[in-house]
Amino acid sequence: MEPLNENELNQLLRKWEAPDAPPTLTPRVFVEQKRSWWQWLLTGTVRIPVPVALAAAAVIALWIYHSRPAAPPRVAQPGTVSLADFKPVRQLEPVVVVNGGQK
Amino acid sequence: MTDNEFKAAFEEHKDAVYRFAWRMINSPAAAEDIAQEVFLALLRLPGRFDPSRGPLRPFLLGITRNLVLKRWRDENQWEELADEHFVTHPVSIERSEISHIVAEAVRGLPLLQREVLILAEYEELSLEEVARAVESEVGTVKSRLHRARENLRRMLAPLKPRNPERSEVSHGTAK
Repeated sequence: MEPLNENELNQLLRKWEAPDAPPTLTPRVFVEQKRSWWQWLLTGTVRIPVPVALAAAAVIALWIYHSRPAAPPRVAQPGTVSLADFKPVRQLEPVVVVNGGQK
Repeated sequence: MTDNEFKAAFEEHKDAVYRFAWRMINSPAAAEDIAQEVFLALLRLPGRFDPSRGPLRPFLLGITRNLVLKRWRDENQWEELADEHFVTHPVSIERSEISHIVAEAVRGLPLLQREVLILAEYEELSLEEVARAVESEVGTVKSRLHRARENLRRMLAPLKPRNPERSEVSHGTAK
């Protein structure tokens, strides 16, 4: 099949017409233009690449983990007796104390 | 950029921006979204436009082109953006209007050929302006434009006036 020549191609290309911008475009642009920064904060969207989002999530998780308050040391409640640190001696060495401090 | 300058720029270039997006992606809704983004980009970053590097229209069409490419990449993540290996097939002309056949042929071109053809043939940008819009060398643009026209000459060959269909084609419908 013989291809078109330049002139024939130009004539054909001119037959494909595109529409002008629709009237709805104007309000879309100018409403957006008038939107103030705090409205943007309430309703705006931000596109973030996935690696950046993952890195940010990891940083936040680490920050939350490290900023937890340290667990308080275990202290026995007053008025109670704890035997948690009790260790029996291996060999009993009795000492007899008589009057005057002599063995 | 003042409000009045922005309004003037919008009125002067909105049709060209919309038409280019519409021809590139074949979706009125998507073309309108892109045209909106183009003008909001101009509004938010007016310093990006440097009048010493050329007129505003190629600059805006360059933003349009980048948004079209971004959308294309989102939809065709694994497809290579190349224009070298393209096999032309003559278009089907059965019961189609000529404008539809031409649209189908142009939209069948590889993206990099399609954009330079539309900017040069339909938006009537100079080769230097096309090169600025598509961020390429003038030589590259020339070569892509040549390949695009060569492909179209073959794809649209069934509409050659010498064919028996010629008389019906010239009335706007090919059968």
